Amino acid sequence: MDVTLTIDNREVTVPAGTLIVEAARRIGIEIPVFCYHPKMLPVGMCRMCLVTVGLPVVNRETGRPEVDAAGQRVIRWLPKPVTACTEPVSEGMVVITDSAQVAADRKGILEFLLTSHPLDCPICDKGGECPLQDLTYRHSPGVSRFDIASKYHAAKAYPLGDLIVLDRERCILCARCTRFQQEIADDPVLAIENRGRDAMIVSYSEPAFNSHYSGNTTDICPVGALTTRDFRFHARPWELEHTASVCNHCGVGCNIVLDTRLGRIVRVMPRQNELVNEVWICDKGRFAHHFHASSQRLTVPLMRQGGRMVEVSWDEALQHVATRLRAICEQHGAEAIGGIAGARLPNEDLYLFQKLLRQVIGTPNVDYRVGLSAGFEDDIVAEVGVACGTDLGRVGCGTAILVLGSDLDEEAPILYLRVAGAARHGATLINAGGRATKLDQRATHVLRYRYGSATHLVLGLLHVVLHETNEQGRALTGNEIVPGRVRGLAELRAHVSEWTPERVATISGVPAEAIRAAAHAFAAAQNGIIIYGGEAGNHPALRRAIANLAIVTGFVGRPNNGVIAVLAHANSRGAEDLGIVPHRLPGYAPAERHGLNATEMVQGGVRALLVAGADPFAISARQVNLEFLVVQELFMSATAQQADVVLPAVAPGERSGSYTNLERRVQYFHPALLPPGMARPDWSILRHLAVLLGAGGWDYATPAAVFEEMARTIPLYANMSYERLTQPVEISRHMAHYIYAGMSYQSEAYEGLQWPTLAEQAMHTFVLEWQAPPPDPPTRGVVLVAPRVLYDGGTLLGQTQLLASHVVTSHVAVSPQDAAVWGLADGQRVRVAVCAREIALPCRVNPALPTGVIAIPRNLANNVAEMLLGEGQLFSPAGLIVEKQQGS
Amino acid sequence: MTSQAFYEELQGVLKKYPVKQSAVLEALYILQRDKNYLSDEDIHTAAEALEMTVTEVQAIVGFYSLFRRQPTGKYLIQVCTDLPCALRGADAFYRRLCERLGLPPEGGTTADGLFTVEEVVCLAACDRAPVAQINLQYFEHLTDQAMDAVIARLREQG
Ligand code: SF4
Ligand code: SF4
Ligand code: FES
Ligand code: FES
Repeated sequence: MDVTLTIDNREVTVPAGTLIVEAARRIGIEIPVFCYHPKMLPVGMCRMCLVTVGLPVVNRETGRPEVDAAGQRVIRWLPKPVTACTEPVSEGMVVITDSAQVAADRKGILEFLLTSHPLDCPICDKGGECPLQDLTYRHSPGVSRFDIASKYHAAKAYPLGDLIVLDRERCILCARCTRFQQEIADDPVLAIENRGRDAMIVSYSEPAFNSHYSGNTTDICPVGALTTRDFRFHARPWELEHTASVCNHCGVGCNIVLDTRLGRIVRVMPRQNELVNEVWICDKGRFAHHFHASSQRLTVPLMRQGGRMVEVSWDEALQHVATRLRAICEQHGAEAIGGIAGARLPNEDLYLFQKLLRQVIGTPNVDYRVGLSAGFEDDIVAEVGVACGTDLGRVGCGTAILVLGSDLDEEAPILYLRVAGAARHGATLINAGGRATKLDQRATHVLRYRYGSATHLVLGLLHVVLHETNEQGRALTGNEIVPGRVRGLAELRAHVSEWTPERVATISGVPAEAIRAAAHAFAAAQNGIIIYGGEAGNHPALRRAIANLAIVTGFVGRPNNGVIAVLAHANSRGAEDLGIVPHRLPGYAPAERHGLNATEMVQGGVRALLVAGADPFAISARQVNLEFLVVQELFMSATAQQADVVLPAVAPGERSGSYTNLERRVQYFHPALLPPGMARPDWSILRHLAVLLGAGGWDYATPAAVFEEMARTIPLYANMSYERLTQPVEISRHMAHYIYAGMSYQSEAYEGLQWPTLAEQAMHTFVLEWQAPPPDPPTRGVVLVAPRVLYDGGTLLGQTQLLASHVVTSHVAVSPQDAAVWGLADGQRVRVAVCAREIALPCRVNPALPTGVIAIPRNLANNVAEMLLGEGQLFSPAGLIVEKQQGS
Repeated sequence: MTSQAFYEELQGVLKKYPVKQSAVLEALYILQRDKNYLSDEDIHTAAEALEMTVTEVQAIVGFYSLFRRQPTGKYLIQVCTDLPCALRGADAFYRRLCERLGLPPEGGTTADGLFTVEEVVCLAACDRAPVAQINLQYFEHLTDQAMDAVIARLREQG
């Protein structure tokens, strides 16, 4: 229902429930605020937004508004000013924001606030983009009547944690930071302690201010009270140049601004995209930019000569590569050559990479999946992915979200915020995983399955959906599934009939009733989203079961319905889309000739290997058994050290390109910096190589030209162009005013474009294929899992000194129950052995783990988990030995 | 109090509340009851028992003058010196009280460990100022003589 009111004599119609401050913003009237933030519940703490409000007088008998002799509505003015940030509008309300009274109120509030504010703007990082500074200029009395000698003083550089510094004098106690941590980040580690003049922001958690999202509080702090150690005293806001970019640290694809000064990144800020990251980024995205400016960067092509790496020109290096590849090809055939590209490379580079290998060299050996992700893929999202127009930021009641085997807070932090936000707004949230994760606290259903039984669990859910009815006796299958469009329903029903919740319970350890309740709750929703990740395993039957569940519940082909795969890297989705796997071509077309996968290539399946932005030899200390190895890299990685030719590549901030995020949103990023030394973008290196190998038509001058070809040749990207990816967002969806997002400038806002799934085509027929689940996991013994953590031992992250103490060190996490049985305490060394491999690591007792599960995070220093588990293994096979190391 | 005794008592308390966290005031009160202040360990105990962060618990402790983080004298004398009380001379009354007890003007604990004196904000008895709260009891319309009498009586009780 809409409500019409008058603000400063102008009429405005807004939905009922809108706050006065928001209604005013609609017609361009800015009511000053400090504590109010559109993403959080209003609290009315600062009183800056005071306005005068009148309500129409209603005749009690007729129920109509009273009118005076002149036919004007009679208004009863409220006796005191009202906070516009807490007051919802009502029909006929009259609001005044520009009177002498309101001006006096604002003056009073500011005068009062400034009694405890140091006004040290000249040395304050916020100076120049500070709401308090600006509102003081605009609304304050200019001169204070308070005695300067009795001004309040407090700690100036109090470390709230090791990333964020608090200036207690500058704090105006608006509680934006504490509310963000509590309402949005789900890490209530900041609070206001004491009362009145003694009130102050504190954090007593250990380590202090322990949250993946802490940097956001510095953006929304309306004064310079919170600053990051990264930016503090490094530049003045007006000296910065701003470049719209996209974070390259995980698959969420948060939109960011690279703020540069004198050719260096001094600050990374969130850039609003309501469909991806709203106005937030995680601390990894914010702080881990230092790899760009690292002195360790490769800047000159290197070639191995007489056992030593020597600097050479690009011409010499590329000629040599071309000559060697040609020779190997002639002697052993094209299939003796293979390529491994990393999923951090942008789309343009990945596209050319596979084109070079498949079309120019003529080999099918292409892969992007190394280490524990070897063999991991997602092939269901192309059919049943979340439909275009999905906006997790706006779902709530009526939507059910099933998270399966993913620790979002660690793997895709901003997706965590969005899923938790959906739950806060009433969505049904089913968190199914092998261990307790942070999302449990928001979940309506927690299903704790035995590692290795995720497929069985989904079959149990399918059984309930296909064989049970709801309380009204209606089927649980979605009304949306048009019978004519779905094949194999009867067969699937027959197949899952034996997978009763009771049977699944014995295999998975999840109580039958919990499976039933979750299935009913999921199916009862109007919209359903399934988010699955690596801890669910990587069995084809799992993916099939997930797709089947989405189809039979009707949660496909409509916005806010479908599947999201939580893949590891910034452009893993792009790598899947563009066929950087040995069995698929770009656009999910099956390859006629299947090539070798990364593991096979690394284990001697090829004679020559091209590696771009990947480090396949970091994991296996294996002998490099290759005749020729070429590596395109930013750093001298373990693989680069073994290479015959090392080609320096440019980092994301130094170039343009596009990434496809885990919701299939293709997003463009601009270049912000010049590359160091002679480094070149990967796409350009590949182009030169192709030309030297005699390819015709490889005359791409820019990534734009590559993207045009992609749009022309790959139906998924058919309607895309850089121009369309960077279409300015309509202003009503764009609120990144500095008061809310912390920047003095209005950053560019784009929303990118999602490619449509098959389910969205009206003519698509769904085939409910049956695949038998993997064997039941053992119900006894110990299993080793390798979860992903945000602050892992990755090379890029390792270049950021500020985060060094956050990087997870090698350890083995053990449940308290097991620790008691094995006689282990924190810090003691544990010997873990599996097959012929063994390792000793310090122990960390972790109550999030169930009995019988030990965890070693993947991708830590020395790749300990990878070493133990081996390529593509998500859990340990049977025969794991865990014991306290003697003498410890 | 032993942690086992605390947990046992807490079980009964928890029954009264829809969510654990709502019991925080009562839990802290129990932890403080015997020794009149909350140690760091108590804060951690409460946080763990109620599934809250230490920061959240400490913020609540800091908000209520009922909770203390330092040991006090046997009798805790809290005098309101907020504006309405100050208008009735409570601030001067407070300073004189400190002086007579041999304490610095901002208050403190007497050498015999019997009294701790401190200023607090509104005790919700503004119309009966000056007012002091001694442990859990209110003393209103105070004068220096009346206060001395109270102190003498408490000294006798020891
Ligand atoms: S630190 Fe900043 S955001 Fe937090 S309460 Fe103080 S002024 Fe507000
Ligand atoms: S959530 Fe992912 S994409 Fe977003 S800022 Fe963090 S690392 Fe970058
Ligand atoms: S009280 Fe309205 S913005 Fe603070
Ligand atoms: S101001 Fe002293 S009791 Fe209220």
